[in-house]
Amino acid sequence: MDTPLLALALFLILLQSGLALWWPPGRGFPWTFGTAGVLLLAAGLHRWLLEAPGQQLSLSGLYLALLGLLYLALGPYLRDYLSHQDSAQAKLNAATIPLFALSMVAALLVPPGYSLVFAWEAMALLGYLLIAWGEPGAQTGARWFLLSSRLSGAGVLLMVVALSLIERGSASLWPLVFVGALVGFGVKAAIFPLSLWLTRAHPVAPSPISALLSGGMTKLGLYGLLLATTFQTKPPEWMGWTLVLLGLAGAVYAPVRGLAEQDYKAVLAYSSVENLNLMLAGAGALMLTQDLRFLAALVFLQLSHAAYKGLLFLGSAILPAREIGRLGGLWKRAPVTAGLTLFASVAAASLPPLAGFLGEWLLFLSFLGAKGLLALSAGMVALAGVLASVLYLRAFGLTFLGSARSEAVDRGLEAGPGMRLGMSLLATFLMTISLFPAFFLPKGISVPLLPQFALFAGLLVLLTLLVWWLKKLQHRSYGTWDCGYTSLEPVMQPSPLGYSEQVLRLFPFVSLRSVPSVGVLDPLEQAYRLVSALYQNLASAFQRLQSGSIHLYLLLQFLALLVVLAVAL
Amino acid sequence: MSAVLLLLLAPLFTGCLKWVKARLQNRQGPGPLIDYFNLLKLAQKSYIVPETASAVFLLGPSLSFLGAVLAATMLPVFPGLSFTGDFLLVLYLLNLGRFFQALAALDSGSAFGGQGSYRESLVAVLTEPGTILALSAVALSSQELSLASLAPLSAQNLLVYALALAALLLSLVAEGARMPVDDPATHLELTMIHEAQLLDHSGPLLALYELASGVKMLSYLALASLLLPLSHVLAFLLMVVLGLAGLAIIETYGVRLRYLRLPDLLTYNTLAGILAMLGVVLRFRI
Repeated sequence: MDTPLLALALFLILLQSGLALWWPPGRGFPWTFGTAGVLLLAAGLHRWLLEAPGQQLSLSGLYLALLGLLYLALGPYLRDYLSHQDSAQAKLNAATIPLFALSMVAALLVPPGYSLVFAWEAMALLGYLLIAWGEPGAQTGARWFLLSSRLSGAGVLLMVVALSLIERGSASLWPLVFVGALVGFGVKAAIFPLSLWLTRAHPVAPSPISALLSGGMTKLGLYGLLLATTFQTKPPEWMGWTLVLLGLAGAVYAPVRGLAEQDYKAVLAYSSVENLNLMLAGAGALMLTQDLRFLAALVFLQLSHAAYKGLLFLGSAILPAREIGRLGGLWKRAPVTAGLTLFASVAAASLPPLAGFLGEWLLFLSFLGAKGLLALSAGMVALAGVLASVLYLRAFGLTFLGSARSEAVDRGLEAGPGMRLGMSLLATFLMTISLFPAFFLPKGISVPLLPQFALFAGLLVLLTLLVWWLKKLQHRSYGTWDCGYTSLEPVMQPSPLGYSEQVLRLFPFVSLRSVPSVGVLDPLEQAYRLVSALYQNLASAFQRLQSGSIHLYLLLQFLALLVVLAVAL
Repeated sequence: MSAVLLLLLAPLFTGCLKWVKARLQNRQGPGPLIDYFNLLKLAQKSYIVPETASAVFLLGPSLSFLGAVLAATMLPVFPGLSFTGDFLLVLYLLNLGRFFQALAALDSGSAFGGQGSYRESLVAVLTEPGTILALSAVALSSQELSLASLAPLSAQNLLVYALALAALLLSLVAEGARMPVDDPATHLELTMIHEAQLLDHSGPLLALYELASGVKMLSYLALASLLLPLSHVLAFLLMVVLGLAGLAIIETYGVRLRYLRLPDLLTYNTLAGILAMLGVVLRFRI
């Protein structure tokens, strides 16, 4: 039943892309943009809920639904967003975004063969273009994205080649398949030491692209890893342990590093790395234990992450500046966006009663149910959880609450109606999975869940009553308590680095420096610099071969011929 | 049921604490019922909203209170709601309250509110992993991951329970903002942690915060009381009396720790949690 739906969705997406080239986006931009999202969501959920669990068909359904959701929200959002861009650029974006979505959908629909490599590379190329067309400073970030995509593409290619060789009878290549999958899909899902690209590329991308990248594309890495587990009856243990260890390390490193970050969108990007690494750890533990609760945890973590991170990135478009230190008090200027962002932040801080917590709760319980030292991972999950909540406390509190730290805030405007509609769609979905989580699990996965409906509805009703009562009471507006000092300035509020400085002291792997300018010392970045210096040296050493001297080239050709002859004879 | 008990008992607990402290310090002091009157007085007052404040300003006290009350409903002091993994929900509902309390502190746009907010964050980062690990270890050693069905104290789980008790009591002083982590009696804004966040909340909002913090302390005592080899109600009452005495003595004879030295104390919480968990996983016995 889902095939015609999917075919129609793909047709609509293609049509949209073609249409955008001659229909100037903006005011008259057709509302049909997101319609394909509904079809994808329906077809994906149908596949995920009704096909036999654990196979590619059902797995891809989950991710199709997730992409459909994001695409649906992007429809009305882009209508407003693109109307602010100049016509040529808006056309280009409006034509490319559907193609980017199409390439991601294609990666989900094809079997793990050479067609997957093509879809994967198309996704990388289109993603790169969309980032690079953004703001003037986006080039570096876009190159980071492209570089990581090269690595990821190489991994996927290795996996596919090894798989096709195995089909011809060389069974000894199985480890290569899993190495390829680990690199190829792991890098896309920002596995820990290879996560720097995400935090460089996502902040500079235009907001809707960040939402699509963070909410959608990175999940395809997880899809690939889960897909790789279906190749053999039991995936190798080393792969599971690698994912668990790197995932847990990343889940603690990323929020700490995010606390040292002053750019709002970079904070969101680091939080994405944290979430993804937590999911990777869950996926690794799933491979080790085959406990279906891990899979259920992954479902809720991913669905809610797609919704709240999409929403947060979409909301970040209204910020008049990206540096948190120049923001503050945006709630007054954009109450709807701020309210939706707060809702998403609560989910992102994995607090009850939202689905983000449900996922984390399942992750806790399944780690506690695991045998041996794996149970200790619960502590790391707890640490990652509390750090994430501080991260969002800081990001949301300093950006939207208090008073404005610079004049830039005066330029802040509420998002347009289409943008608000797009964000509300994501918030509605988040609410739906929080209220009815059982609906999103197929019959094959039956795990005990929290009494979400009672909890959420109860809290909402009580909260409404309490706030209504408080509002009814007598109150008046007055100045903030300033301890008798009568001129309270906005700069007296905590600065972004001041807020996190003391938490950062606890984690020696990230430290702040104040000389010569305020900055962050991050050993991961230093390691990257070292690797790139090594690579540069190597490259310049090899460059001597390219001297331009015909004699050297002839000699090389002769040597190559000798080698070929030696091998052939 | 448990929530009602904790709600009713919370002002008595904080009132008694003030009363016992006053007696230990050779002062007359207010009577043990002072906090009931205090809350009644606060509830009747009108309140002030700072000019910078947004809707979050009211959400802070409301969710702080509701989070604590909802968490209390899941405590098995009296038999009530119980399911697998309820202890995590209890802790995270308390976190929900803290999250909004720290947000509301930032909302007023004051220097002190912000200061309180990030200090509270530090305390949270220091205590939370230990608390979760400790309770998880206790639940794992009972092989039932719910609070109502924790195994009674025995020779097999003595070590785990002792470590978990240590972790929970440290969390009590940290999360309840008592000495040596925070001084509830200080009048100097610069030294405050918990109180600094409440500076701009007055009248009924302050009443909600006070009530929430009382319920929160009692919740931690109730969690700790589950480790005692007595019936739940009896253990809870005993724990409340012990907690009262302990806190009063610490706050009379002890001093507050310098804020930057907090990690030195609260690392023991994390350490106890990790050791308790290792004790379960590797089956350590005394």
